[in-house]
Amino acid sequence: MASKGQQIQEIDLSKLNLQQLTHIKQQLDQELNVFQDSLHTLKIAQGKFQESGDSLEKINSNSKGKEILVPLTGSMYVPGKIADSEKVIIDIGTGYYISKDIDGAKEYFKHKINFVTEQMEKIQSMGMEKSKIRDAVMEIMEERLRVQLAQQQLQAKT
Amino acid sequence: MSEEVQNRLQQEVEKFRTVQKDYQKALQQRQQLDAQLNENTAVKQELDLLKSDADVYKLIGPVLIKQDLEEAKQNVAKRMDFIRNELKRTDDFIATLDKKQDTHREALNKLQQQFAQTQLKAS
Repeated sequence: MASKGQQIQEIDLSKLNLQQLTHIKQQLDQELNVFQDSLHTLKIAQGKFQESGDSLEKINSNSKGKEILVPLTGSMYVPGKIADSEKVIIDIGTGYYISKDIDGAKEYFKHKINFVTEQMEKIQSMGMEKSKIRDAVMEIMEERLRVQLAQQQLQAKT
Repeated sequence: MSEEVQNRLQQEVEKFRTVQKDYQKALQQRQQLDAQLNENTAVKQELDLLKSDADVYKLIGPVLIKQDLEEAKQNVAKRMDFIRNELKRTDDFIATLDKKQDTHREALNKLQQQFAQTQLKAS
Protein backbone atom coordinates (compact mmCIF):
# COMPACT_ATOMS: atom_id res chain seq x y z
CA MET A 1 0.00 0.00 0.00
CA ALA A 2 2.91 2.28 0.76
CA SER A 3 4.24 1.80 -2.76
CA LYS A 4 0.87 2.84 -4.14
CA GLY A 5 1.12 6.11 -2.26
CA GLN A 6 4.51 6.81 -3.70
CA GLN A 7 3.20 6.14 -7.18
CA ILE A 8 0.50 8.72 -6.67
CA GLN A 9 2.99 11.24 -5.42
CA GLU A 10 5.06 10.91 -8.56
CA ILE A 11 2.13 11.84 -10.76
CA ASP A 12 1.79 15.54 -11.43
CA LEU A 13 -1.68 16.22 -10.07
CA SER A 14 -2.19 19.37 -12.08
CA LYS A 15 -2.02 17.39 -15.34
CA LEU A 16 -4.91 15.09 -14.49
CA ASN A 17 -8.48 15.68 -15.52
CA LEU A 18 -11.39 15.94 -13.13
CA GLN A 19 -12.45 12.32 -13.54
CA GLN A 20 -9.00 11.02 -12.68
CA LEU A 21 -8.79 13.34 -9.72
CA THR A 22 -12.14 12.11 -8.42
CA HIS A 23 -10.90 8.56 -8.81
CA ILE A 24 -7.75 9.32 -6.84
CA LYS A 25 -9.73 11.07 -4.15
CA GLN A 26 -12.03 8.09 -3.80
CA GLN A 27 -9.07 5.77 -3.53
CA LEU A 28 -7.46 7.96 -0.89
CA ASP A 29 -10.70 8.12 1.06
CA GLN A 30 -10.87 4.35 1.01
CA GLU A 31 -7.29 4.01 2.21
CA LEU A 32 -7.88 6.52 4.98
CA ASN A 33 -10.88 4.48 6.08
CA VAL A 34 -8.75 1.34 6.20
CA PHE A 35 -6.22 3.20 8.34
CA GLN A 36 -8.94 4.36 10.69
CA ASP A 37 -10.25 0.81 11.05
CA SER A 38 -6.75 -0.55 11.66
CA LEU A 39 -6.11 2.06 14.30
CA HIS A 40 -9.33 1.10 16.02
CA THR A 41 -8.42 -2.60 15.99
CA LEU A 42 -4.93 -1.88 17.27
CA LYS A 43 -6.36 0.26 20.04
CA ILE A 44 -8.50 -2.70 21.15
CA ALA A 45 -5.51 -5.06 21.00
CA GLN A 46 -3.46 -2.59 23.02
CA GLY A 47 -6.18 -2.45 25.65
CA LYS A 48 -6.33 -6.24 25.90
CA PHE A 49 -2.59 -6.57 26.38
CA GLN A 50 -2.65 -3.80 28.94
CA GLU A 51 -5.44 -5.54 30.83
CA SER A 52 -3.62 -8.89 30.79
CA GLY A 53 -0.41 -7.26 31.95
CA ASP A 54 -2.22 -5.41 34.74
CA SER A 55 -3.91 -8.53 36.04
CA LEU A 56 -0.50 -10.18 36.39
CA GLU A 57 0.33 -7.58 39.02
CA LYS A 58 -2.24 -9.20 41.27
CA ILE A 59 -0.52 -12.59 41.17
CA ASN A 60 2.48 -13.08 43.43
CA SER A 61 3.96 -15.87 45.52
CA ASN A 62 1.32 -15.27 48.20
CA SER A 63 -1.42 -16.08 45.77
CA LYS A 64 -0.86 -19.82 45.92
CA GLY A 65 -3.89 -21.71 47.20
CA LYS A 66 -6.03 -18.59 47.30
CA GLU A 67 -9.58 -18.84 46.12
CA ILE A 68 -10.61 -17.20 42.88
CA LEU A 69 -13.75 -17.18 40.81
CA VAL A 70 -13.22 -18.71 37.42
CA PRO A 71 -15.50 -17.40 34.68
CA LEU A 72 -17.20 -20.21 32.78
CA THR A 73 -19.13 -17.75 30.66
CA GLY A 74 -19.22 -13.99 30.78
CA SER A 75 -21.80 -14.08 33.55
CA MET A 76 -21.27 -17.41 35.35
CA TYR A 77 -18.45 -18.24 37.74
CA VAL A 78 -17.26 -21.26 39.72
CA PRO A 79 -14.91 -21.06 42.72
CA GLY A 80 -11.39 -22.36 42.26
CA LYS A 81 -7.98 -22.34 43.89
CA ILE A 82 -4.77 -21.05 42.35
CA ALA A 83 -2.62 -24.17 41.99
CA ASP A 84 0.44 -22.54 40.50
CA SER A 85 1.22 -18.92 41.23
CA GLU A 86 4.59 -18.97 39.52
CA LYS A 87 3.59 -19.62 35.95
CA VAL A 88 0.92 -18.51 33.55
CA ILE A 89 0.04 -19.78 30.10
CA ILE A 90 -0.14 -17.20 27.34
CA ASP A 91 -1.91 -17.38 23.99
CA ILE A 92 0.69 -16.32 21.42
CA GLY A 93 -1.61 -16.77 18.44
CA THR A 94 -2.48 -19.41 15.82
CA GLY A 95 -3.50 -21.85 18.56
CA TYR A 96 -0.13 -21.95 20.31
CA TYR A 97 0.17 -21.32 24.03
CA ILE A 98 3.38 -21.00 26.01
CA SER A 99 4.00 -21.22 29.72
CA LYS A 100 5.98 -18.35 31.24
CA ASP A 101 6.85 -17.22 34.73
CA ILE A 102 5.21 -14.02 35.97
CA ASP A 103 8.13 -11.74 35.16
CA GLY A 104 8.49 -13.29 31.72
CA ALA A 105 4.80 -12.82 31.09
CA LYS A 106 4.95 -9.18 32.19
CA GLU A 107 7.86 -8.73 29.84
CA TYR A 108 5.87 -10.37 27.06
CA PHE A 109 2.91 -8.03 27.45
CA LYS A 110 5.11 -4.97 27.73
CA HIS A 111 6.82 -6.03 24.54
CA LYS A 112 3.48 -6.56 22.80
CA ILE A 113 2.12 -3.21 23.92
CA ASN A 114 5.24 -1.50 22.61
CA PHE A 115 4.92 -3.32 19.31
CA VAL A 116 1.27 -2.35 18.91
CA THR A 117 1.97 1.25 19.88
CA GLU A 118 4.74 1.40 17.29
CA GLN A 119 2.39 0.11 14.60
CA MET A 120 -0.19 2.69 15.62
CA GLU A 121 2.34 5.48 15.29
CA LYS A 122 3.36 4.23 11.87
CA ILE A 123 -0.23 4.14 10.69
CA GLN A 124 -0.89 7.58 12.11
CA SER A 125 2.00 9.14 10.24
CA MET A 126 1.01 7.30 7.06
CA GLY A 127 -2.55 8.51 7.51
CA MET A 128 -1.34 12.07 7.93
CA GLU A 129 0.66 11.79 4.71
CA LYS A 130 -2.38 10.45 2.89
CA SER A 131 -4.69 13.16 4.13
CA LYS A 132 -2.15 15.74 2.99
CA ILE A 133 -2.24 14.25 -0.50
CA ARG A 134 -6.01 14.13 -0.29
CA ASP A 135 -6.11 17.83 0.62
CA ALA A 136 -3.88 18.63 -2.33
CA VAL A 137 -6.14 16.66 -4.67
CA MET A 138 -9.21 18.39 -3.28
CA GLU A 139 -7.62 21.78 -3.79
CA ILE A 140 -6.87 21.08 -7.42
CA MET A 141 -10.36 19.70 -7.92
CA GLU A 142 -11.90 22.86 -6.52
CA GLU A 143 -9.66 24.95 -8.70
CA ARG A 144 -10.76 22.94 -11.75
CA LEU A 145 -14.39 23.35 -10.88
CA ARG A 146 -13.97 27.10 -10.43
CA VAL A 147 -12.31 27.42 -13.83
CA GLN A 148 -15.03 25.34 -15.44
CA LEU A 149 -17.74 27.41 -13.85
CA ALA A 150 -16.12 30.65 -14.97
CA GLN A 151 -15.86 29.34 -18.51
CA GLN A 152 -19.50 28.33 -18.52
CA GLN A 153 -20.55 31.73 -17.30
CA LEU A 154 -18.43 33.36 -19.95
CA GLN A 155 -20.01 31.18 -22.61
CA ALA A 156 -23.45 31.97 -21.34
CA LYS A 157 -22.80 35.68 -21.69
CA THR A 158 -21.53 35.56 -25.26
CA MET B 1 -26.85 -0.33 -35.66
CA SER B 2 -27.24 1.69 -32.51
CA GLU B 3 -29.04 -1.17 -30.82
CA GLU B 4 -26.29 -3.60 -31.66
CA VAL B 5 -23.64 -1.33 -30.20
CA GLN B 6 -25.76 -0.83 -27.12
CA ASN B 7 -26.07 -4.57 -26.64
CA ARG B 8 -22.36 -5.04 -26.96
CA LEU B 9 -21.76 -2.21 -24.57
CA GLN B 10 -24.04 -3.80 -22.03
CA GLN B 11 -22.31 -7.15 -22.37
CA GLU B 12 -18.95 -5.53 -21.95
CA VAL B 13 -20.08 -3.70 -18.81
CA GLU B 14 -21.33 -6.99 -17.45
CA LYS B 15 -17.98 -8.66 -18.07
CA PHE B 16 -16.11 -5.75 -16.56
CA ARG B 17 -18.22 -5.97 -13.42
CA THR B 18 -17.49 -9.69 -12.98
CA VAL B 19 -13.77 -9.07 -13.31
CA GLN B 20 -14.04 -6.24 -10.80
CA LYS B 21 -15.82 -8.54 -8.37
CA ASP B 22 -13.13 -11.21 -8.78
CA TYR B 23 -10.51 -8.56 -8.23
CA GLN B 24 -12.12 -7.43 -4.97
CA LYS B 25 -12.35 -11.02 -3.80
CA ALA B 26 -8.70 -11.70 -4.61
CA LEU B 27 -7.69 -8.52 -2.82
CA GLN B 28 -9.60 -9.59 0.26
CA GLN B 29 -7.97 -12.99 0.17
CA ARG B 30 -4.57 -11.38 -0.11
CA GLN B 31 -5.25 -9.25 2.93
CA GLN B 32 -6.33 -12.29 4.91
CA LEU B 33 -3.20 -14.20 3.95
CA ASP B 34 -1.07 -11.22 4.86
CA ALA B 35 -2.68 -11.09 8.30
CA GLN B 36 -2.12 -14.82 8.78
CA LEU B 37 1.51 -14.50 7.78
CA ASN B 38 1.95 -11.65 10.25
CA GLU B 39 0.39 -13.66 13.04
CA ASN B 40 2.58 -16.67 12.28
CA THR B 41 5.69 -14.50 12.14
CA ALA B 42 4.86 -13.12 15.58
CA VAL B 43 4.36 -16.66 16.92
CA LYS B 44 7.63 -17.80 15.38
CA GLN B 45 9.47 -14.88 16.98
CA GLU B 46 7.99 -15.75 20.34
CA LEU B 47 8.88 -19.43 19.98
CA ASP B 48 12.43 -18.56 18.96
CA LEU B 49 12.82 -16.53 22.14
CA LEU B 50 11.94 -19.53 24.32
CA LYS B 51 14.50 -21.68 26.08
CA SER B 52 14.64 -25.28 24.87
CA ASP B 53 13.01 -26.61 28.04
CA ALA B 54 10.04 -24.27 27.93
CA ASP B 55 6.54 -25.67 27.80
CA VAL B 56 4.58 -25.22 24.62
CA TYR B 57 0.94 -26.10 24.21
CA LYS B 58 -1.27 -26.31 21.19
CA LEU B 59 -4.98 -25.67 21.29
CA ILE B 60 -6.78 -28.63 19.73
CA GLY B 61 -10.51 -28.24 20.02
CA PRO B 62 -11.21 -27.18 23.61
CA VAL B 63 -8.04 -28.64 25.17
CA LEU B 64 -4.41 -27.65 25.33
CA ILE B 65 -1.99 -30.39 24.28
CA LYS B 66 1.61 -30.16 25.31
CA GLN B 67 3.93 -30.03 22.35
CA ASP B 68 7.60 -30.30 21.67
CA LEU B 69 9.16 -26.86 21.09
CA GLU B 70 11.13 -28.01 18.05
CA GLU B 71 8.05 -29.59 16.57
CA ALA B 72 6.06 -26.43 17.15
CA LYS B 73 8.76 -24.32 15.49
CA GLN B 74 8.84 -26.61 12.48
CA ASN B 75 5.08 -26.56 12.28
CA VAL B 76 4.92 -22.78 12.27
CA ALA B 77 7.74 -22.55 9.73
CA LYS B 78 5.93 -24.99 7.46
CA ARG B 79 2.74 -23.02 7.76
CA MET B 80 4.57 -19.80 6.94
CA ASP B 81 6.03 -21.38 3.80
CA PHE B 82 2.60 -22.51 2.77
CA ILE B 83 1.12 -19.06 3.33
CA ARG B 84 3.96 -17.45 1.39
CA ASN B 85 3.25 -19.72 -1.56
CA GLU B 86 -0.43 -18.87 -1.37
CA LEU B 87 0.45 -15.18 -1.23
CA LYS B 88 2.54 -15.47 -4.36
CA ARG B 89 -0.28 -17.29 -6.11
CA THR B 90 -2.83 -14.62 -5.18
CA ASP B 91 -0.38 -11.89 -6.18
CA ASP B 92 -0.03 -13.44 -9.64
CA PHE B 93 -3.78 -13.83 -9.83
CA ILE B 94 -4.28 -10.18 -8.90
CA ALA B 95 -1.78 -9.13 -11.56
CA THR B 96 -3.63 -11.06 -14.27
CA LEU B 97 -6.94 -9.63 -13.09
CA ASP B 98 -5.41 -6.19 -13.22
CA LYS B 99 -4.46 -6.69 -16.85
CA LYS B 100 -7.89 -8.12 -17.61
CA GLN B 101 -9.50 -5.07 -16.07
CA ASP B 102 -7.37 -2.79 -18.21
CA THR B 103 -8.29 -4.57 -21.45
CA HIS B 104 -11.96 -4.49 -20.50
CA ARG B 105 -11.71 -0.82 -19.68
CA GLU B 106 -10.18 -0.10 -23.04
CA ALA B 107 -12.83 -2.10 -24.85
CA LEU B 108 -15.49 -0.27 -22.90
CA ASN B 109 -14.05 3.09 -23.82
CA LYS B 110 -14.03 2.16 -27.50
CA LEU B 111 -17.58 0.91 -27.38
CA GLN B 112 -18.70 4.01 -25.59
CA GLN B 113 -17.16 6.17 -28.27
CA GLN B 114 -18.83 4.07 -30.96
CA PHE B 115 -22.10 4.36 -29.18
CA ALA B 116 -21.80 8.12 -28.90
CA GLN B 117 -21.00 8.35 -32.61
CA THR B 118 -23.98 6.25 -33.68
CA GLN B 119 -26.21 8.36 -31.51
CA LEU B 120 -24.79 11.49 -33.03
CA LYS B 121 -25.49 10.11 -36.50
CA ALA B 122 -28.99 9.14 -35.55
CA SER B 123 -29.88 12.59 -34.26
